[in-house]
Amino acid sequence: MQTGTKSDFGNSGGLFAGLGAALQDAVLITLVAGGIGMLANLVHPEGIPFVAEKNYETLVPCPVAGGEVTPLAPDDAALRSGDTFLIDARSAEEYKAWRYRQAMNVPYDYLDPTPAETIGEMARRVASSGARRVVVIGDGQQPDSGKWLGKEISGKGIKNVFFVKGGAKALKAASGSGGGS
Amino acid sequence: MKRLLNWPGHSWLAVPARWYLGAVFVIACLHKIAHPGSFALDVATYDIVPLQLVNLMAITLPWIELFAGIMLIIGFRARGAALAIAGMMVIFIAAIVIALAKGLDMSCGCFASQSAAEDDPISYLTVMRDSGWLFLSLYMLFFDRRPIGLDLVLARRKKAHA
Repeated sequence: MQTGTKSDFGNSGGLFAGLGAALQDAVLITLVAGGIGMLANLVHPEGIPFVAEKNYETLVPCPVAGGEVTPLAPDDAALRSGDTFLIDARSAEEYKAWRYRQAMNVPYDYLDPTPAETIGEMARRVASSGARRVVVIGDGQQPDSGKWLGKEISGKGIKNVFFVKGGAKALKAASGSGGGS
Repeated sequence: MKRLLNWPGHSWLAVPARWYLGAVFVIACLHKIAHPGSFALDVATYDIVPLQLVNLMAITLPWIELFAGIMLIIGFRARGAALAIAGMMVIFIAAIVIALAKGLDMSCGCFASQSAAEDDPISYLTVMRDSGWLFLSLYMLFFDRRPIGLDLVLARRKKAHA
């Protein structure tokens, strides 16, 4: 197959030659595709109203001064190490239903900063345990409560903080019935 | 400059680029078309578009991606499709940069929804990836003057009938 000649597509000209036609086509694509999208939405089983009736409940954590936190795979051997101090950032109910080893439960609230006494208690327990790393287990949602509690405590002086990728759900799947209780 | 612009090799170089970018856009739109509600939530999470326009954008944008992607692949009105994609890339890059500047920790929502895309958080890597796609679309727009594909077939047929 040969490429077209100049005469196939008119004058090749300078850098902006033919941009008018391209713009026209781009507008046409937008209008036709947008129109078809709107028609398809009318018959779509999950179709949505053209104008949102109420605000979407979006949950994106506000930027807070936090420290470094490193992701850890749910099957990482560090989780089973005696050098690891585990913190569970999920709610008390979720913790009661299933927990990984003897993790300390510190429910994380996106709207309220963790009280200074709780962080102090955590720091004391980490220090007395002799652990070399702290791993926070969250809910595995997007955003993940474990990652955000990890950032918070890391920003407040606790060193070597990790969070479990995928949270408790991934950890439960990775550990089977062996690790949890 | 004129020699560079009129180099016939651009038409051949642009073919794999068109197929790649077209496939990226077709793949990217599938989840959004299947689940407009989830995509609307993604659009709302960026907190840039006014609420009145969130759903309209969530309904129409994936279809524009689909059409532009298919047109790039088959080479029909390819420069127009490249321009539409370049326009979308500029919007996406601006949205991600604004979200990063606000310090939002969220998923891109580029290929799946917020809840499904745990491993696709926005970062400056996302901006670089999108900038690469913007560069490709601009290359097609400015340098692929005689796209190989349906455009070429139609132009030749038209010429033969003239």
